[in-house]
Amino acid sequence: MWTWFYKLASPPYVYGVAAALVPWLLGVAALALAYGLIAGLAFAPPDYQQGDAFRMIYVHVPSALLSLTAYTVMAAASAVALIWRIKVGHAVAAASAPIGASFTILALVTGSLWGRPMWGTYWAWDPRLTSELILLFLYVGVMSLRSAFEDPARGDRAAALLAIVGVVNVPIVHFSVVWWNSLHQGATIVRIGAPKMPGSMLWPLLSMWLGFMLFYGAVLCMRLQGEVLNRERQAMWVREAIKS
Amino acid sequence: MTSGFWSMGGYARYVWPCFGFAFVVLGWNLWSARRYRAAAKARASRALAMAASEAR
Repeated sequence: MWTWFYKLASPPYVYGVAAALVPWLLGVAALALAYGLIAGLAFAPPDYQQGDAFRMIYVHVPSALLSLTAYTVMAAASAVALIWRIKVGHAVAAASAPIGASFTILALVTGSLWGRPMWGTYWAWDPRLTSELILLFLYVGVMSLRSAFEDPARGDRAAALLAIVGVVNVPIVHFSVVWWNSLHQGATIVRIGAPKMPGSMLWPLLSMWLGFMLFYGAVLCMRLQGEVLNRERQAMWVREAIKS
Repeated sequence: MTSGFWSMGGYARYVWPCFGFAFVVLGWNLWSARRYRAAAKARASRALAMAASEAR
């Protein structure tokens, strides 16, 4: 039953799986993003309160959800690496960090652009915005810590510890709009009960979300290939891998 | 119809930069991941070539 888990500890196996997945993930992501963009920008009706400004949701919500997903992946991979001493876990965590950081910046910038016409300001020290900014600082901290040590193994362990401790911020970001008074609107998709949107607005959003997640999977696999090669460059299997 | 689409009901100055920046981030991720993988392959090739020459 656990054979697949043990296989994931093998760098050549992970490298091969990542290489095989990239074109499929990128292809389906491109289709999902194309549908989401066209349907969201051209066919979804304007919101009765926000007008066409609501269309920023098609970038903002998927990027914000991805910023949390990438951090959770990074923390889970770090935990696997520390608990079971699986080195590939550190490689996954290192690959996920820059992607997650870039999508956190995207969520902050698009949220800021959306906030100006709706709230009258680009920035407010609101619980959701502040906790998302802390998420960005955590990403930067994890990446800096990993590269701060001369011994890469020590850097990996220190970054893994910070990633695991920082995962407490993920539910804080998500539930901040429930726990505190917030300018930010409540959950739109990830909530108990039916989504608050009609299908003509919701399907493009779900498609963009799927596209962002698959795109994340593709770039994660590409970076993971690089991480594995950097860590295994003396191994014999690398000779065959880089020829293909 | 077309001008209405581009003006986004008066919110064009917020909506289009939002989507433009998203494309920049997606493009950067794709470019940097490819570059990172290519650099790692080049480093691994050099390391293997060096190991082979030392073995001789």
